[in-house]
Amino acid sequence: MSGRGRTIAAVALRRAAAVAWRSGLGLRRGRARREIVARQLRLACEDLGPAFIKLGQLASVRPDVFPPETVFELERLQDRVPAVPGDEVRAIVAAELGAAPERVFATFDAEPVATASIAQVHGATLAADYRPVMGETLAAGTRLAVKVIRPGVEDAIAADLAAARRLAAWLERLPPAARWRPTALLAEFEATLASELDLRNEGRAADRFASDFADDPLVVVPRVVWRHTTRRVLTTAFIEGWRLSDLGEVERAGIDARGLAAHGAEVFMRQVLVLGRFHADLHPANLFVTPDGRICYLDFGITGRTTPAQRSAIAQVLVATAYADADRALRHSRALGLEVPDERVSAVRAAVDALMRRHLVGHGPADVRGFALGFLSTLADHRIAIPEGYGLLVKALVTVEGVARAIYPDIDIVEVARPFATRLVADQLTDPVRLQARVPAALTAALEALLD
Amino acid sequence: MKDLIRFLAAWALVHESADEAWRAAVARGERLAPVSLDQGPEAIADGLAALVAEEKERLKRRLLEGDAGATGATDLGPALEALRFEVAELRGRIETLQASLDAVAARLEG
Repeated sequence: MSGRGRTIAAVALRRAAAVAWRSGLGLRRGRARREIVARQLRLACEDLGPAFIKLGQLASVRPDVFPPETVFELERLQDRVPAVPGDEVRAIVAAELGAAPERVFATFDAEPVATASIAQVHGATLAADYRPVMGETLAAGTRLAVKVIRPGVEDAIAADLAAARRLAAWLERLPPAARWRPTALLAEFEATLASELDLRNEGRAADRFASDFADDPLVVVPRVVWRHTTRRVLTTAFIEGWRLSDLGEVERAGIDARGLAAHGAEVFMRQVLVLGRFHADLHPANLFVTPDGRICYLDFGITGRTTPAQRSAIAQVLVATAYADADRALRHSRALGLEVPDERVSAVRAAVDALMRRHLVGHGPADVRGFALGFLSTLADHRIAIPEGYGLLVKALVTVEGVARAIYPDIDIVEVARPFATRLVADQLTDPVRLQARVPAALTAALEALLD
Repeated sequence: MKDLIRFLAAWALVHESADEAWRAAVARGERLAPVSLDQGPEAIADGLAALVAEEKERLKRRLLEGDAGATGATDLGPALEALRFEVAELRGRIETLQASLDAVAARLEG
């Protein structure tokens, strides 16, 4: 076993021992035990560094695979890392763009403006006019953000993934862990990670997003400077603003925070339910609010897609959830692959109905996160498999709420979703193709009923 | 009732390629005398289909009399925008390729 392999095994053993100790050597069961496991799993990822933090972040958007407590705990993963020295960054930029940063750009800042486990961002200035894929020409002198992959990170991730593959093969032989399909899941995560390590993919997703929302004056997407972009360097226009995670009362006072929060939620619903492609790594640190009151989207490293059939079913489930109709929500959930065995339908429906009353239609703003956690736990308690698209929907709703609340803490996301989803379902119902298929039969049936 | 007929006419116009059953219903409806309730629901549906078809033809004539050029221009807009985006995206791909080639050339020269 390599040195790194031994480190991984040591961390895994230490955290497993902590789980055993804190759960009273297995005496604690159910949700209490799942919470303990989730916390130790998050700490293990943080102990093991970038590759495992990234794997944990990918796992945090998969409630179809992991228990809800794990999914929500892994959201809190922090990837605080020291900045890479300026000289090393300059060397990468020079190797990628064929000239020193001072020759490529009018200016290049040695100190980063942001650092993360995979890349860090430096400020720079555009040397000559540039026409981006979308929007106006960027004039020489425009402030830029240059994202650079950290040196050695690809090799470190490859080494960690090799160790993780061995661990996954071992877990595959243990019945409790085997149901997570660790080897297949790791292969899936590896593909996502490989895509994220090629910054050109992020640039393309940003351009597509800018095109999708070209008609929305409240949405800002940094324009990509392709002339200065390669696999390891992504250059975009620099957007001034506050990260949602840093948004305070003073900043909120100068903008229409409630309107912007509601609009942000609608933008996300439009991505998932109308366009079928969406920013799948949305959290308050990936969003800016500009001083003129617009939302700026960053970090398009992970994107997702929904098929027309999924979009139609998601809209129906969303409307049912927004109106706290448990029966309808479960009925339409079938179209997304959620199979509740007949003998459990009434118990699950009663539990979901109770959750909806407690979290969505009670006093005060709706609590989607509380509802989602309760709902996913109910499914886990009943051992009902969660399909991937379905998990995505539940997680997306929680994300929308989290983002909107970061802008305006008192927002009621269900109140915002209700008219949007209702409009969408009405559009689907009046779709000419659907009408053509259904109106003649409906008309005949109605007349039969009338004449009888 | 008139609004309902117009709505159904608009729907039928959009779907000019109505299925055979619909066409047959229209044909049957056109042959029928004014609909009477004692002929049953099928006859009423056929009669209604004929009414809708008649209204559809009227709607079609009205649209043809209108400004066909303006309709064409409106339809072209989104397609042109999509094409512009695809071409610009292609330009972006070429530019990033060029940046990588410049880097390779610089390495070879260095």
